[in-house]
Formats: sequence, C-alpha cells, structure tokens
Amino acid sequence: MAKAYQIGAVVVVGAMALAACGSSSGSGSGTGGGGGGQTLVISTDLPLQGASKDASNATNQAIQLYLDQIGDKVGNYNIQLKPYDDSTAAKGAWDDATCAANAQAHVANTQEVAVMGTYNSGCAKIEVPVLDQDPNGPMLMVSHANTNPGLTKAWDPGEPDKYYPTGQRNYARVITTDDYQGAAAAQFMAQTLHVKRCAVINDNQTYGQGVARAFATEAAKQGITITSNTPWDVKQPNYQSFFENIKAQNVDCLYIGGIYDNNGGQLIKDKFNVLGDNNAVKTMAPDGFTGYPAFVAQPQAQGIYLSFGGMALEALQAQGGAGAKFIDAYTAKYGAPPVSSYALYGVAAVQVILAAIAKSDGTRKSITDAVFSGDGITIPADTCVLGKAIHIDPKTGDVDARDMSIEVVKGNAESYLRSWPVTGS
Amino acid sequence: MATTTAPKSPTSTKSARAAKSGANNRRWALIFAGAAILVFVFYQYLLPHLDQSVKSVFDSWLPISTLEESLVWIICAIGLNIVVGYAGLLDLGYVAFWAIGGYTAGWLMSSFFNNVDFSFFGVIPPQPGGIHINFWIVLVIAAAFCALWGVIIGAPTLRLKGDYLAIVTLGFGEIIPQVFYNGDCIGPACWNVSNGTQGIYPVDSMNAPKILPGMKGATLGIFDQPYKYIFFCLVAALCVFVSLRIREGRLGRAWLAIREDELAASMMGVPLMRTKLAAYAVGAAMGGFGGVIFAEYVGGVVPDRFNFSISITLLAMVVLGGMGNVWGVMVGALVLAWINATGLKQIGVTFNQVFHTSINFPANNYLLFGGILVLMMLFRRAGLFPEMRTKAVLEEDEVADDAGGTHLSDPEEVTA
Repeated sequence: MAKAYQIGAVVVVGAMALAACGSSSGSGSGTGGGGGGQTLVISTDLPLQGASKDASNATNQAIQLYLDQIGDKVGNYNIQLKPYDDSTAAKGAWDDATCAANAQAHVANTQEVAVMGTYNSGCAKIEVPVLDQDPNGPMLMVSHANTNPGLTKAWDPGEPDKYYPTGQRNYARVITTDDYQGAAAAQFMAQTLHVKRCAVINDNQTYGQGVARAFATEAAKQGITITSNTPWDVKQPNYQSFFENIKAQNVDCLYIGGIYDNNGGQLIKDKFNVLGDNNAVKTMAPDGFTGYPAFVAQPQAQGIYLSFGGMALEALQAQGGAGAKFIDAYTAKYGAPPVSSYALYGVAAVQVILAAIAKSDGTRKSITDAVFSGDGITIPADTCVLGKAIHIDPKTGDVDARDMSIEVVKGNAESYLRSWPVTGS
Repeated sequence: MATTTAPKSPTSTKSARAAKSGANNRRWALIFAGAAILVFVFYQYLLPHLDQSVKSVFDSWLPISTLEESLVWIICAIGLNIVVGYAGLLDLGYVAFWAIGGYTAGWLMSSFFNNVDFSFFGVIPPQPGGIHINFWIVLVIAAAFCALWGVIIGAPTLRLKGDYLAIVTLGFGEIIPQVFYNGDCIGPACWNVSNGTQGIYPVDSMNAPKILPGMKGATLGIFDQPYKYIFFCLVAALCVFVSLRIREGRLGRAWLAIREDELAASMMGVPLMRTKLAAYAVGAAMGGFGGVIFAEYVGGVVPDRFNFSISITLLAMVVLGGMGNVWGVMVGALVLAWINATGLKQIGVTFNQVFHTSINFPANNYLLFGGILVLMMLFRRAGLFPEMRTKAVLEEDEVADDAGGTHLSDPEEVTA
C-alpha cells in the first residue's frame, strides 16, 4: 500500500502543478480586449481533429482575419473569438459527448453571446436544444455548414419543433439545405449530362441519406430512372462486389450521397475498377466530398462532378466584390487561399451574428431576437463575403440564397464548372 | 477479502486480514463519498460566486460535464470489472450493453415512438406523442433488459475460454451497435427501431426528489448539472455497494474461484453455467445504468459513439486501476475519462502556450494510453491499486522464488 500512496502523491502533486500552470494562463487570456465598450465573445464550434480539421482551421483563420479587418469592433462592442473543438482524437470526427459538454460551456461562459457552428448537423441537434433553453437566452447559433433540412423545416417526424423546447427559434444558417442540393444535382445531371439510368448510393448517415433521397426524388421528376438506392458499409475493406451489383443494373450514372470521411477513398477506387472511369459512368457527389485534398489527388476521382451548397471559391473570386477582396486578403495573410469555401461561409455566419449584435443591446436574448423578429437580418451585397446580399428568414432561420455550385475534379483539383440556381421546390 | 468471510476459519491471520479489508473498504468509501459531496457543494454553491478567472480555470480543466461523463465511465468500468475482474471472463464487447442501455432510454424517454402517447411519471415535453417514463424507472428497466441480453450473449460463450471467449464477445460488441446503426428499417414491414444513423434526440429530462437545498422543482432541467451529477453519483454508489456485497457473498466467492481455476472450482461444486451467466447479467445491468445516464447526459443517443474503442478504453480502465479491486477501477476510470475528455487537451494547450509550440496532444491519445499500459505491465502488473488477493498471490510467488523453494500459494487462498 505504501507504494500506492507514493504514486497517489506524485499524481496529486503533478495535478496541482498543472492546475497552477492553467490558472496563470487562464487569467492571462481573460484580460484581453482593448479599452472602451463591453467585450462580447463569439465562439466557433468545429471539429478540429480528424479529416475535417483543415476546413475547420481555415474557417477559424478566416473569421479571425475578418474580425481583425473590422478592428474587432461592432457598434459599441469589442468582439473576441473563442474556438471550441467538438471532436475527439479517438474518433477523428465530431463526438456526441463533446458536443453536449460544449453546449453547456457556451451557456456557462457568461461573456459568450453567440455560437458560429456547428460543422456537422448531428452535433447541432445536440447543441441547439441546450442553447435554446439558456435562462439568459435563447442563445443564438448560426451555422455555416449544417445542411440537414430537419433543423429548420419539417423533415422527419417532430422536426424541427423538437429542437426548440422553449418554442422560440435560436438557430439560423447561411447555407442552403440538402433538399435543394440533391435537387440541383439531379437537374444538372438530367439537363446537362443527359443521363438516363442512375444508381444512388449513400453512407447511411443523416446527411448522406438526406441528400440521396432528395436526389432520387428530383431525378424521377426529371425523367431519370433510379435503379437502386443502397447504403455502403463504411467499415468494408473493399467494395468490389458492391459495385458488381450496381454494374448488373446497367447504369450510366452514379450518385454518391455521403461524406468522404466514410471510406470514400476506397469507394472511389472500387467504383473506378468495376464500373469504369467517370466518363463511362458519370459520377456525382455532394459537398461531403469537397474540401479534401486527399480526394482530389486520387487518380480515380478525376472527372467526378461535385455539387456544393452555396458557391465555390472560384465563383466567389470571379464574382468580385467583397468576397474576392476577402479571399485576396486571406491569401496575402496565410500564403494560400482557404482550402474550402466553408471558410467564407463561416465568415458570412459571423457577419450575421455581428449584424444581430449591432441591432441588439448586447444580451444573448436581444441578439437572438434581432435575428428572429421583424424583418430578420440582411447582409448587403457590398459587405457580404458571399458577394451578394443574403437575408435570413426570421420565421425559420434559413437563408434565401439557394445557389448551388457544380464542380468537376480535374488535374488533381476541384475545378469550378458553373453555378446552378435551384428551380422548383 | 473473500477468504475473510469464511466463518469456520478463525485463524489469527484471517481475522486480521478481515479487519484490514473491512477498514480498507470503509476508508475508500469515505474518501470517494467525501470527494463526491465536496465536488457537489463546490460546483453548486461556491463556484458560481467565485471570481471569473477562477471559474475559467475550472471550466477548462475540470468542468462539471466532464465529471458527469466520467461517472458513466466509472459505472461501466465497475460493471466490466465484475465480468473481467471478478469472474475472469475477458469481455471485449462491453460497449453493447452501454448501447442497449442508451437506446432503452431513447425508446422510453423521448418522442421517438410518436404514434403512441404514453407517459408514466415522466417529464412530458410540449410536443405530443412518444413514451415518457420516469428516469428512475427507466434505469431499472434498462438494467433488467441489459441483464437479459447479458444472459443471451453469455449463454453461447459458456463453453469457451480465454482467447476464444474474447473473440466471441468482440463479435457481439460489433453486432449490437450495427443493429442500432442499421435499425431504421428492420424486417419485412420496415420497422424503425433505432432511427438509424440519425439517432434519437432529444431524450427527456430526469425527475428527482426535491431533497437538496436550492432545487427548484422535481424536474432537473438541462442546466441543473451539479444536481444531476450528485444523483448520478448515487447510482455509481449503488453499483459499488452491489459489487462489494456480492463479492463477499457466495456468488462472489464462486466467481473468484472460477477466475483462479475453473476446473478446480467445478470439482468443488461451483455450478459453472449459473455462476458465469450471473456474472454476465450483473455486469450487463450496470452497463444498462451507464447507458441510460449517458443518454440523459448527452440528451440523445447516436450510434456513432458505440464503437470498439469504447470497449478497449473500458478494459484499459479496469486494468490500469487494478482488476478486481472496485476502488482501483474507479480511480482508473476517473483518470482515463478525464484525460480523454479534457485533460490531454488542456495539457496540450498549456504546453503549447508555455513552450510556443503547436503540438496536437489529443491526436497522440492512444500513444499515451498504449505507453501507460506497456509500463503498467512491466512495472505494476496488478494495476495502480491491486486487489489484495492478487497482490498476496504475486508477493507469495516472489517470496517463493527468492527462497528458491517450490512453495505454492496457500491452497485456501486460491480456492476460497
């Protein structure tokens, strides 16, 4: 037992030493923020580990750059950025328990007034109800990347009301939803690529299923025959037999509803081996495949079409205006343009939050009210980093911009093809 | 401990050992209970009134949410300790019970089954529909349901030992989460039993008796974290109590006998089948507790969580703490859960600030775990706080080796 006590003592001393380090650094960061006016903290809630970390880091960098550009001030308030990580290294992706803990931390940190995030819709579904019940709130969350329709509109049973226990909305987004993305892909494939028979595959997750279902529905309307809609098992070592089945269906196109993290690399390889290259069987994937350097570098990925909710970096650059100027500033500061246009959507989400702060008295409740009452928030075209005016619907929190972009993978890069304004519903 | 309860062996060493183990348990129980209450009082009544800089230290180093998550790990580790530590049945699929417990909460405490409208002392959300049963009743139901599944899973493995047993449990640990993962369309009628990858959100809040000062009502809201924490502590305490009492009893001694030597145990009249199944059932029931509490803590269940690494982490907690010693296992679970949730991240942040580096500490999580386990096996095989019995056996072996003799451990010690 004596040995055990020795070890215990070492652990305790070690912990105390660490706590001491922590306290000094903690108090150091608390006193930041220049003189005059109240300091408000905007946090980001992103997966900083695993496959999404590059896009998340670029988003944090872009937001910090934007805040620097506006002098860390809006109206009478000093603005500070506080990044949270909602992933764990063990999972290499977002983690439910971490999301729950982050939501509590957002509410507990009294200086925080609004959250920019999350990246994953599943994480938002855990955090939104917590922020909604904030006694000083509801606390505003604006996402740059959640495309699951259920968060804001009737989708699955009980959605979206079950995420808002107080009955008041507190969640908005600057990106359009999967139902439009799947539809855009179907319209593009029917009208531009003139395909006739499509197989749909999905990764069996919230996002993948949603976008695959939307594609299948709109494709049928466009006169494409859908031969099947099958999930791929993310843990399979290879998909040879999976694609043999699809080959037997004699298709001229394949729609991949899912994200690249879910064994997308192997999937693309085996698709190429079994179904042939991407001219023989036209292949299209949603934005779950954008922003991955490893994906575009794969030889088998060349020729795959990608759809993207919102606009690609190239489109934003070509469009000129505030968006192009911001990309240039980012490139000048960090030496390369952002790896994903989610970075710009992150900035747009922060612009919505800042506009709400400017209209508010600096409390969480009034900031949320600024978004969900009256005319809602409009970011004019000359300042919006998306290069055009965006408006948040005060009833649902959805954005009015429904443009999709179509890209094609060419020469180991995502190459912008055209934008695709979604028609119909 | 087990040897001490044999009433017909009043030798002086044994009664001394009995007194020692009883005092040992009492001391550990006091330490943990004291720490739990201290933490509760601190977070509920003191911390909100302290300075912001102090608060931010606790928010980043030891938030109450991390403590709540640790309790889930502790409860599951105590359950796994019964199967692995007491009965010596290596179980690599314990995550299955955590998942079943979680989904039991999802089914019985949410609006998931929205075509029915049933409530039983539950917290009813504004939206109609769904099953809303009281948290404490769900806890019991989940424990019973998991125990049933423990028996179902245990039954085919009875003829297996060692590696083979581990492989079969590993299989079950993979199958059950997959069932939940793909459970949105089961059978010819395409029943949705788990909502597939979307998981079940949100799970109802819990009720609790209004016994503590400052509690607003019978329903614990999403921000009544310290109250939830102390009630979760009670569940953990129940698990500890059950573990300790069973171990002293006939069943516990039978488990230990099986662990030491299965053949000898069966020769001595221990019914192997019943005893092993009991170990699976009791262990699984605690997994059910853990699952319900986890669902309550997160506010939902998502199948992504239930992967193999959970089983391995739980096993690491048991091994690190000291297989068979409930107190050691609790310490192991606390330490690893903290490292996982906040510790490593914060150490990384501090390290990077002090040395102006940008090392991603959490990414090396398993490197650290692996390193710790290797070192443990080299220098402290029985865990941080070894079970007295294991320790005694190891030490006697050493003594025998030193003396160069062939003295074996006390036979009574082994067969109890």
